[in-house]
Amino acid sequence: MRAADAVSQLRPRLSLRGRLYLFSAAILILFAINVGTSLWGSFARNESSLAYQEAVTAAQLTAELEQNLQTKRQQVLVLATLRETTDEPLDEAALEQARADLEIISERLRQLGGFGGEELEAHYRRLHDSVTALLAEWRQFYEQYNADGAIIAVESARSYNSTQQRLQELDQRQSFVAVQRANAIDRTITLTDQITVIGFISSIAITLALVFAMIRSTNASLTRMKRGVERFGSGDLTYRIDDQRDSGEIGDLARTFNEMSAKLQIAIEEMNTARADADSANAAKSMFLANVSHELRTPLNAIIGYSEMLQDELGDGLDIDREQFHHDLATIIFSGNQLLTLINDILDLSKIETGKMQVSLEVFSPAALLVQVCDALSPLLSQNNNRLVLDIDNDSMRDINSDRGKLQQIVTNLFSNACKFTKEGDITVSASMTADALTVAVADTGIGMTQAQQDRVFEAFIQAESNTGLQYGGTGLGLAIVREFCTMLGGSIALESSPDEGSVFRVTLPAGPTSVRASA
Amino acid sequence: MSEQLILLVEDNEVNRDMLVRRLERAGHRVSTAGDGEAALQNMRALQPAVVLMDMNLPVKDGWSACEEAARDGSIKHIPIIALTAHAMAEDKHRALEAGCCDYATKPVNFPELLDKIATCLNASR
Repeated sequence: MRAADAVSQLRPRLSLRGRLYLFSAAILILFAINVGTSLWGSFARNESSLAYQEAVTAAQLTAELEQNLQTKRQQVLVLATLRETTDEPLDEAALEQARADLEIISERLRQLGGFGGEELEAHYRRLHDSVTALLAEWRQFYEQYNADGAIIAVESARSYNSTQQRLQELDQRQSFVAVQRANAIDRTITLTDQITVIGFISSIAITLALVFAMIRSTNASLTRMKRGVERFGSGDLTYRIDDQRDSGEIGDLARTFNEMSAKLQIAIEEMNTARADADSANAAKSMFLANVSHELRTPLNAIIGYSEMLQDELGDGLDIDREQFHHDLATIIFSGNQLLTLINDILDLSKIETGKMQVSLEVFSPAALLVQVCDALSPLLSQNNNRLVLDIDNDSMRDINSDRGKLQQIVTNLFSNACKFTKEGDITVSASMTADALTVAVADTGIGMTQAQQDRVFEAFIQAESNTGLQYGGTGLGLAIVREFCTMLGGSIALESSPDEGSVFRVTLPAGPTSVRASA
Repeated sequence: MSEQLILLVEDNEVNRDMLVRRLERAGHRVSTAGDGEAALQNMRALQPAVVLMDMNLPVKDGWSACEEAARDGSIKHIPIIALTAHAMAEDKHRALEAGCCDYATKPVNFPELLDKIATCLNASR
């Protein structure tokens, strides 16, 4: 087996359904990946935009805070100058307003603390400290403003400057963070765009590859199937579709086609065998008819020929040789009897074949019958210079209950067969009995038969060779009749033979119940 | 005509005896052979004017004997009339193909057989 075959047997391809499932699953996964990438992209954009907006809001707050601080400082400086020159106190409303302003600044500062996160935490902390200190100084300035003789300190020398500086630092830091975030947004957008495009393109590519692979593999399977069905259709039923390369439906279909082909093949073989049998039976019948015609004509030839000749002799007025005349008439009678036997054989076989042959049982002595038959047939021995050996085991012989006529015909047929196929040899007729069976054997030292000839010799219309009838005469009916008679009498016939060494036909018949008188 | 020899080839003793006697009564000289091989030997030795050949013969059948006679320069001119109990049309065809000049079916119609013998003798003369 080739390695490729081994592999394809170990890993049969996916079934069509399996392929469709796999294909759909792959498409769904790709779709999910694309959607996920897209969602992640927009989420990232949102996050970045939020962070940017935060940075912008924080920068605005910072600017407002700076503006508020500047305005308040102007007011404080103006108030301080007024106090020194006019010594006019502030009314309660103005003080309230000033405290509210300071509160607003404080509020802004807290708001600013909510933005920026860790990146701005340190800067905010420092700004918070400075602004808180500055506000505390300004609050003190307003508290002491109306007090007499109070030394008005606008602020400590470096409070405002330091606050200003911290504000600027925070501002710079915020700008830096905003730029960073803007860059991050750009990068994120670029990245998600790239991922989306790559995912989309690769999805299309993978889908196309899957579609192509599926079309190809399915098409290959169907093409194999089509090729197989075409071969079946053209009559090549020994062809088999390779059903190992597909599992599932297509593999099943291939196997079903193969089974169909195998069954068709068997059916066609059976049909051919039946037709051959019928042809052979037909040919055998034709051959039988030809042989029957031949066999009927041979004695008729003698009968008609001798009769015409005797008629001529009577008519020519010469003296008639009475002895010769008698001999010629005997020949006519012999040929007539031969013809009768032949016709009887044909009728017997026809009766047997149509199931009309009757068995008539009687009690008789088989030993006496054998002696009688051998006596009657002794003229046959002289035809080929054969010698008869009669070997009857008289000690075991007794009466049997069987069909006398049929046993007589069995022995006659076997005997005349033996005479026909033996030249200058021995024909041995032997008989013996057991408690319940009679065995009669007719052995010859004649031409014998091969195994193939023995297998067919009992068939009706068959002789050992198709030209045996031509050489030895006979219609091929004798042994067929013998076998049928043996079967009808509940017995059997066995044959031992080898070419050039002779044949032994051994008939075994049941002795039958002799105590009860059977109807004749 | 009566001086000419007819060779009768027939294995069946009864039929051979009958035909010999009838042919002799009809004024022919008759010699006999019992099988195909003996027939060829007699044809070569006796050079008969016509051969009546049974086709179903022991040792060598009539068809083989006819074919062999047709190949033998010394006897191929001798006309052979096939005599056979095979009465089917293809048997006649087969006999003529084997080189027989005519064909007679058993049981023999004797006057017809005499005509056929005469025809063959005239044709070969």
